Amino acid sequence: MRLLKDQQRVAKEHFDTTIFLEGIAGTGKTTAAIERVKQLIRSGVATDSILVLVPQAALAIPYREALRRSRVATGGDIHTATIGSLAYQMVDLFFPLIADDIGFENPLDRPHFLSLELVQYYMTRFVEPEIEAHDYFNSVTISRSRLYTQIVDNLNKAALVRFDPQTIAERLKSAWRGDVEQGYIYDDAQISANLFREMCVRNNMLDFSLQVTLFVEFLWKLEQPRRYLMQQYKHLIVDNIEEDTPATHDILRDWLPHCESALLIYDSESGYRRFLGADPVDAYQLKKLCQTHIKLTKHRVMSSDIQAFQSEMARSLNQPAPKSPKNSDAREAIVYADNRYHPQMIDWAAENIASLVHSEGVNPAEIVVLAPYLPDALRFALQTRLNEHSVPNRSHRPSRALREEPAARTLLTLAKIAHPQWNIPASKYDIAYALTASIAQFDLVRARLLVDIVYRNRQLHPFEQISNEKVQERITFDLGNRYEQLRQWVDAYIQDEPLPLDAFFSKLFGEILSQPSFGFHDRYEAANTAANLIDSARRFRQTVNKIEPHLDTSPEYVAMVDKGVIANLYIRDWQLEKRDSVLIAPAYTFLLSNQPVEYQFWLNVGSSGWAQRVNQPLTHPYVLSRQWTEGRRWEDADEVAVNQETLANLALGLIRRCRKKVYLGFSEFGEQGYEQRGTLLMAVHSMLRRLRREEEHV
Amino acid sequence: MFKPRPKQAEVLEYTGGKMGVSAVPGSGKTATLSYLAAKLVATVPLDDEQEILIVTLVKSAVGNFAKSMANFLKEEFNLLPGLGYRVRTLHGLANDIVRERPGLVGLDDSFTVLDERAADNIIQEAVESWVRANPNAPDHYLSNEHYSDHFTRSTRWADTVKNMTTNFIRQAKDMQLPAGELQNMVLDSKRSLPLAEMCAEIYEQYERALRYRGAVDFQDLIRLALRVLRLDPHYLARLQHRWTYILEDEAQDSSKLQEDILKLLAGEKGNWVRVGDPNQAIYETFTTANPKYLLDFMQEKDVQAKTLPNSGRSTASIINLANQLITWSLAHPNPEIREKQPLSLPWIEPTPKDDPQGNPPDNPAMVHLRPEKFTAQEERDTIIKSLQRWLSDNPDKTCAVLLPINSSGAKMVQELRRMNLPYVENLRSTSGTRAVVGALLYVLDTLKDPKDSAALATAYRVWRRDERGDEEAERSIENIAKEIRKLTQVEDYIYPRLHDWLEEKAGDSGELYTHLAEFRTLVRRWQEAADLPIDQLMLTISADLFQLDTEIATAYSVALYLRRFAELHPEAQLPEYSEELQAIARGQRKFTGVSDEDDAFDPEQHKGKVTVTTMHKAKGLEWDRVYLMSANNYDYPSADPFDNFIGERWFIRDSLNLEAEALAQLDSLYTEKPYSEGQATQQARIEYASERLRLLYVGITRAKRELIITWNSGRRGEQVEAKPIAALRGWWQKEHPHP
Repeated sequence: MRLLKDQQRVAKEHFDTTIFLEGIAGTGKTTAAIERVKQLIRSGVATDSILVLVPQAALAIPYREALRRSRVATGGDIHTATIGSLAYQMVDLFFPLIADDIGFENPLDRPHFLSLELVQYYMTRFVEPEIEAHDYFNSVTISRSRLYTQIVDNLNKAALVRFDPQTIAERLKSAWRGDVEQGYIYDDAQISANLFREMCVRNNMLDFSLQVTLFVEFLWKLEQPRRYLMQQYKHLIVDNIEEDTPATHDILRDWLPHCESALLIYDSESGYRRFLGADPVDAYQLKKLCQTHIKLTKHRVMSSDIQAFQSEMARSLNQPAPKSPKNSDAREAIVYADNRYHPQMIDWAAENIASLVHSEGVNPAEIVVLAPYLPDALRFALQTRLNEHSVPNRSHRPSRALREEPAARTLLTLAKIAHPQWNIPASKYDIAYALTASIAQFDLVRARLLVDIVYRNRQLHPFEQISNEKVQERITFDLGNRYEQLRQWVDAYIQDEPLPLDAFFSKLFGEILSQPSFGFHDRYEAANTAANLIDSARRFRQTVNKIEPHLDTSPEYVAMVDKGVIANLYIRDWQLEKRDSVLIAPAYTFLLSNQPVEYQFWLNVGSSGWAQRVNQPLTHPYVLSRQWTEGRRWEDADEVAVNQETLANLALGLIRRCRKKVYLGFSEFGEQGYEQRGTLLMAVHSMLRRLRREEEHV
Repeated sequence: MFKPRPKQAEVLEYTGGKMGVSAVPGSGKTATLSYLAAKLVATVPLDDEQEILIVTLVKSAVGNFAKSMANFLKEEFNLLPGLGYRVRTLHGLANDIVRERPGLVGLDDSFTVLDERAADNIIQEAVESWVRANPNAPDHYLSNEHYSDHFTRSTRWADTVKNMTTNFIRQAKDMQLPAGELQNMVLDSKRSLPLAEMCAEIYEQYERALRYRGAVDFQDLIRLALRVLRLDPHYLARLQHRWTYILEDEAQDSSKLQEDILKLLAGEKGNWVRVGDPNQAIYETFTTANPKYLLDFMQEKDVQAKTLPNSGRSTASIINLANQLITWSLAHPNPEIREKQPLSLPWIEPTPKDDPQGNPPDNPAMVHLRPEKFTAQEERDTIIKSLQRWLSDNPDKTCAVLLPINSSGAKMVQELRRMNLPYVENLRSTSGTRAVVGALLYVLDTLKDPKDSAALATAYRVWRRDERGDEEAERSIENIAKEIRKLTQVEDYIYPRLHDWLEEKAGDSGELYTHLAEFRTLVRRWQEAADLPIDQLMLTISADLFQLDTEIATAYSVALYLRRFAELHPEAQLPEYSEELQAIARGQRKFTGVSDEDDAFDPEQHKGKVTVTTMHKAKGLEWDRVYLMSANNYDYPSADPFDNFIGERWFIRDSLNLEAEALAQLDSLYTEKPYSEGQATQQARIEYASERLRLLYVGITRAKRELIITWNSGRRGEQVEAKPIAALRGWWQKEHPHP
């Protein structure tokens, strides 16, 4: 695509200036920025002196890919970072400089960086007993894992918004209107956060919030680390600053006067990561620190009908409505379907997608299916139907519990049998599944027949011990032999000193499962899951053993997986695999990937999830933000205003990332069987009514 | 065109303010109310966000109402249905209110609402652990002859505690008493209230378990909705603006909480219409529902009080019989019941002359009150015989058998099926839901034990269940199922290695071979899916089994239900899931998924068939011919000394009704009034007898042209004819000496 005049200006503006670039989604800001990076490199700027800073890692992908594709001779990859990865990198380098000052108990030791899973694990081990003992949170209805997430979330907000983490409860309470009891909940959240923080400091453990705090509040204020960063990166490209947090903005405030050039990109009418601390208002204030201001206004994505839909929708959402282009018709840009039941809506979507792909020749990659939330059942139902219609599809699932992966469950079941000392029994169902998965062509009928006989007292017994020859025949000697190989391997393992869990998995995988005529042989996905499991178990062991050298981490790890705490986080480069396929994703995930498409399917249009902010009883993204006036109370009017803004930004943001048509899918009864009547539906209805009236009028 | 009767027209003149309408059975109350709602939608200038709110009692009424309104809007006002109004049950409304602002009451966004079954499980666990920890608790309450009986102490006692606690918790929640607060009250009170103490402890355990799961129960949902409204006046004001008019149907069954919520939503000078029939209040035992709320409301001075006394539903004879029941009740032989006035005026009046929906022509010969003392089986046989004759003569008419409880309905259904009589069920879990759940259950059973040929044969029959009814197909299904059942080595069919059963059995018959190979493919697919997460397994199976939209939707909600179950019980495997499904299939709980339950039951769709229904589910419906069964003094007691009451267990001393006593202790704790043992038991008899009298009234008024009432002597042969029925029969014989 050729760059428009304004975009070219972005690319070619002096290389010693700081630019503030703004515009709504779809005006080509990132495209222009990528072009500027190329120009910088062409002009002789060293690749590794350019830093692309983004609020989340995936947003840097377009930069890396574009540069890889282009013919610009780069001396290596440009560096991309988020505030989190910068903090990690800096703390890792400079920890000894500050450890003493901030009271770490062992300032000379290396710090331990905690993943989200490990945070949950330590919460369970150290904070949970305190919560139980004092009966904290006894008036709040929330599952344990979300409870921990929100406690940690408060610490993260304190770090990213830069307020004293001791004031969390005070801030939340001052804005609270409602039950007195809620005040106690905030106090409990404060106590738990303090407990967790103390535990971290005592053990040199760094969760995300501590990493950011150490970087922003300490390292950045020291001459040496600061000079290190500023000298390494002379040219800054900061995309989606509206999705970033005050911590990032403050760093930029200091950095901008010292860099050679900078390009700050601001997406108007966004701010989708508010619940993660994003602060668009704070971001916009960076404008006045920049020497050059450019605004892109020409829309490069939407067809004229889609533009008309955008303005009609804006009207229905009480937003300033841009004028529709001449000869455009909003109705041409939408398809609205009214179904009674949820599964009918899923069918409707699948059929329409199939028809687009097969009859109209649309590239599947140009289609996305979106919903405010994407529960597994919906994802699965959609994928099954699309597969039936032979439509390639992919789903972005950042994580799912490892225990839900059959391959992982197989490995864990075998681990339980191979480690009787853990005392974690495996059921005969699990063992039968494990056999069908680990031995090629082992069917469930024969597996059950075998397991019912040979699995006794938590042990697998030899095939030849089956006294009834007829039964041996039924199972077949071929399968029996392979069962024996597996069993003898397990038996031999039990006789030896136990290995660390990850080593056990590797050995089992390498010596048995991946061999010809066993289940993981030539099965890429299973092998991939096994690799993830091994990685995950290893990291767990390494980190935990550094902190507690004598703890046997294996049964701990298995218990965590069984509880569903450990997730399969490694979806390796989901964007790269199965490129030409329909994407199924939560609406926000799609928005934040910043990749426009031709066709969008919005499912569950009646759901209130389109408008409602994520509600978390222990925390509050707005009250804990920099924009909140101290002492103000959070009222219903605030809630309504936020919901309206959320919906408008979301709906209009999606439309601006659509080239041709939006399919709106609605079912009278939601998936839980409740009648649906969300704000988006009301807006769609009022728009349809208005369009109908206008048509009648004409 | 809807042509209102004069009294209906008076109601339809409503434009604003408060109005109460007392309506008799068959007076077209729902039609009138939905017409009024449609008229308001059409005539009141509404902003985009404004709606008329209609609140009904049960889910099926929502469907009924919505359908009726959609019709009026289209036909009479030429408007698009679905816009400008919202029809909800109280639960649905509470859900709407809380979901919008869950944080106000300490709820997380993803809070789940446990359905009755799940909540019941949690109570069960709490009760069991409490009973184990307090082995001496029953000492004080067991009768002498059961004092040392082990079974009574372990099992019966636990059941009693559970029933008692369930009602206690429900009531405490209705009174807005949190578990912690109640515990404190118990501790502070110096009095001996052992039942309240017991229940309060279990309540505390129960609440803890709910919190741990991030869940609330149905009762909480309503309680929390009220709390939300009280906590945030701004939010309340917004909702008041949104729902400018509130129309409430079945207001006689309104509870205190419902009244409080609607009162807040309507506001001081709001627009609130309440319609109901105090004589049809049948949801009151151990709840705070009470027709007095409606009656009191109608007395308030700013309320326009109206009546709908004309009913075009029944023949004069049936109307007279119902009116006579009111007369008898007003002079009830038991003074305490008499004072409560279970049934009150107005009388049912026939329609004025020339009414387009006038009463059917009278025929007293079509009213039968059978005097015989039947056994339960004889009663069923008699009715089956009568149905055999009647159905063949009346293929265009509607007919129902009304039963006081679910389980006897299931027996009747079995009997009808055995005798090959056409029937439909309108029991708690409708047959549609049950069939879907049953089908899933059977397939799950083959996965539970994949080598079991009998289970496989059943799954095969499930797969071909839609072909049943066709004689030839049925024979083929039976033959094949029999062959599969005979299989000693299932693997030879599903995964042949050395022997191929299918090749041997059907290698020559192309059609049969293809057919069985198709089934084999399905079974393999299901088995491969067996270790997927349960929701995905359910969806995989249902994609192969179901075609109808309601079936698919029901299966989808079963999948979600089991997923939730799995999250609460991470250790669950196929046997546990299978047990859950069985519980649904047995109708042990209201399965709140999407199903045909949401569609209103319409007797007119089932002409020439028998509808089997409970009395409760029959409310609002009508049939040409109605059988009222089991009219004895167990199902319809009159608080006589020889009556057996459901709540009074034989192993408890002094015939105490512990459920009632526990509630009385709760009340005493709350009001600080003294508690005296036994009073509540007596009071419960009066209340139960009163409610059952109204149930009888509901039953009688379901009949349009023909009514047959029978009774049986119960399981032990001890029951006698219900007193009101005996009285009606006496009166009838006097009125009609020569039937």
